[in-house]
Amino acid sequence: MKKKSVLLIFILCLTLIITGCWNSRELNTLGIATVIGIDWEDEKILVTIEVINPRPVKAMLEAKPADLVLYVQGRGDTIFGALRNISLKFDRRIFVSQNKIFIFGEEFVKKGFINHIDVLQRDHESRETAYILVAKEKKATDIMGVHEAVEEILGMYMEDIIENKKFNPKGVDVNLSEYLKYYYDSGRQPILGVVDRKEKNAIKKADTHEGKKEYELVVEGCSIFNKEKLSGYLNGEETRALNFVRNEVKGGEIEFPTPVKNVDHYSTPTPSIKDSSSAINTPNRSKSVLEIIKSKTKSDVEIKNGKFILKTKVKMRGMLGDVSGDIDISNEETIKLIEESCSKQVKEEIENSIKKVQKNYKTDVFGFGTLVHRKYPKEWRRISSDWNNIFSQADVQVEVETNIIRTGLVNTSTNKIKGE
Amino acid sequence: MISKDIDKNKERLIKEFNNTSDLVAYEFRTNSNLKIIISYLEGFIDKNTLDRDVLKPVITRLESYNDLKKIIFVSGIKEINTFEEIIEEIVSGSLILFIQGCKECFSIDLRHWEKRSIEEADSEAVVRGPKEGFIEDISTNKMLLRRKIRNPNLVFENYILGEQTETEISVAYIKNIVNEDVLDKVKKRVQDINTDSILESGYIESYIEDSPYNIVSTISNTQKPDIVAGKILEGRVAIFCDGTPHALIIPRLFIENIQVSEDYYSRIYIATFLRMLRFFALFLGILLPGLYVALQTFHQEMIPTVLLITMAGAREGVPLPSVLEALLMTVMLELIKESGVRLPKAVGSAVSIVGALVLGQAAVEGGIVSAPMVIVIAITAIAEFAVPALTEVMILYRLFLIVLGGFMGLYGITCGLVVIIIGAVSLDPFGIPYGYPIAPLDKTGLKDFIIRFPLWSMKKRPGYLVKKNRIRQRNVRKK
Repeated sequence: MKKKSVLLIFILCLTLIITGCWNSRELNTLGIATVIGIDWEDEKILVTIEVINPRPVKAMLEAKPADLVLYVQGRGDTIFGALRNISLKFDRRIFVSQNKIFIFGEEFVKKGFINHIDVLQRDHESRETAYILVAKEKKATDIMGVHEAVEEILGMYMEDIIENKKFNPKGVDVNLSEYLKYYYDSGRQPILGVVDRKEKNAIKKADTHEGKKEYELVVEGCSIFNKEKLSGYLNGEETRALNFVRNEVKGGEIEFPTPVKNVDHYSTPTPSIKDSSSAINTPNRSKSVLEIIKSKTKSDVEIKNGKFILKTKVKMRGMLGDVSGDIDISNEETIKLIEESCSKQVKEEIENSIKKVQKNYKTDVFGFGTLVHRKYPKEWRRISSDWNNIFSQADVQVEVETNIIRTGLVNTSTNKIKGE
Repeated sequence: MISKDIDKNKERLIKEFNNTSDLVAYEFRTNSNLKIIISYLEGFIDKNTLDRDVLKPVITRLESYNDLKKIIFVSGIKEINTFEEIIEEIVSGSLILFIQGCKECFSIDLRHWEKRSIEEADSEAVVRGPKEGFIEDISTNKMLLRRKIRNPNLVFENYILGEQTETEISVAYIKNIVNEDVLDKVKKRVQDINTDSILESGYIESYIEDSPYNIVSTISNTQKPDIVAGKILEGRVAIFCDGTPHALIIPRLFIENIQVSEDYYSRIYIATFLRMLRFFALFLGILLPGLYVALQTFHQEMIPTVLLITMAGAREGVPLPSVLEALLMTVMLELIKESGVRLPKAVGSAVSIVGALVLGQAAVEGGIVSAPMVIVIAITAIAEFAVPALTEVMILYRLFLIVLGGFMGLYGITCGLVVIIIGAVSLDPFGIPYGYPIAPLDKTGLKDFIIRFPLWSMKKRPGYLVKKNRIRQRNVRKK
């Protein structure tokens, strides 16, 4: 019995020397980083960090947004060195576990940054769930410091904006671990989100100084890579198409031209609009909107006569969000027309997007290579090193199926008078 | 043996009692010129009865000692003839009557002393259910229990304990339900007690309990007859001790700390909800400050960012490390509680005001402690009161976990919890596993665990505790 308890105490003591997070740090010794910006500057890495400037709650409510955060910078040959050098000028230890966003300057990304980000994966404090954004044609420092949201701290509201992807799939939410996953995947090239600083249409508030430029940050589109090298950017619609192919669309809306058709013979007579010709002649003006409720994509590849065919089949379910034009949605035939029109729009978008990537960038960000790998493992071994070229020559087949399950609260368009 | 010479007896008696001033030895003669001495302890007997029903008939009508039982109208009369018996009778409150020339004397039961009336049990207040509580007098307490269980199977066994105090204690159980193993152990341990004094039932508890060094208590105490009745109906054993309103109930299992008598008086849904709430309060009361300290000093990455920013803001300028801050506040809280209990009521409220103002407001505004810490400690205090049976244990565990959490983070908390849980489940008070009905698992016991099943569905008495006569009821509600 005595021997046993001595042994037990010994074992318990042993556990004290196992590694782990043994070091206690008081909160008031930490500088909590929420955004880390990384740039090249004069052949050195410049790390800019947004650090929370903690205040008691009362003071925090009264503080201006600019007072809530501090920006600290460090230079070094590596990110780690730059981070450590911050301690020469800043009193708190930088604590990166709460970091939400990495912003990479375009120059940093163009030069191939994979050699430099090992620390982000290796360091136990670093979070792999932090989103990565590329500052489009800018430096990370140009982005940081813009405060144009309800939430005052850049890291916090940027995270929210990126996560808005579920309502609006015109951006991507790729975090560090996802980037690395794509990077290691031979059949798929990485993509990253994009952030851009745009000038605002100045709204004159009483207390705004004249002539001062106002900026806002936009997270639209994405940047596409060939391994670690930046190849180019896609705009919002193209990114949405990319998200469709990646099966990443959870919501969002599709604008498409309202179909025009004579529907006189239906039970609910469509009113004859006197100048209906204008609606027909300018179809672009009357657009309708489908709000996506659920979307599912199945992609496939096929080899026919030695040529690869990339197939994508999108199934959407949604509700009509906005209808304009000469149309009566109270009967099924019209709904079918609307569905077709919507499908056509999405189909075109996807085709254009794939073709653009094939033609301009030659990098398979859609992940068709992975499908080839799965379906034709033998061929894949042969072609994998040349896949990006093969991808850019492949044929594309897109199928889109839309299913409208709800039409909203009204059954006639607002610009129409029922029964007229 | 008593002597025929009445004066010698008187002398001996006074000598046995060391000339104590509260021993009355009153000497008088009857009309028939018999010399008589009565002796008793002051305040122990009913003087009215003594004068009216004993002295008057004895003085006027007694002629020889054979007549005594015919002329006095008192129920408890015994003939005794040794001084040991006499002393025993006198200290237990009887009157001793010596008659000249008689080699026996009479013990007359005129016991009557001042006692508190039956009041609401102040430490176990209920909204629904009987409010009466035990008092210091053991016979009243036994009566209160007997009124709940009117059944010859309810047995009281009396013992006199304490060489100096000669305290009467009484072991109560229900003959056909009680767990014989537990009962035998209790009886044996009670008989083995060899001490000079028993002043409160806590003395007995410390002499008979298993694992006396374990923090967790394995014997519960209560002031309420309905609780004692409920427990002994589940096969437990109760011990009453003269001089205290707290009866002991043996054994006490973990789940009893969560159960409350009102659970059985109220409807099942609310009873179940409240039990879950008490479990939650138990975890909060033990873990919260330790977890808070561990997260704040080791695992900042686990705290949601917005909360972390608030916490960081609150910690700005606080001089003490979190672990000391938590210890300080916990100790302060206990200090306020302790001083509030001991002080007279009039001063007690002053203490709480000072405590609230100093600890709550001034400490935060002065920057000595952070506001979230005050909130955490306040939540802990509230949680602690929700499980009154475990309050003492929770305080100690909490301090233990704050220290572990402050030095080793969540790893320390986990180790601490393992130690606590092992310490608890390794108990088996009087042969009944402390973790019953979870460890070991028992289906009948589970009906009265976190979810309280309807009373009519608890057809059997809890396993392990009740060995014989397990059926509690047969009448099932008609479907």
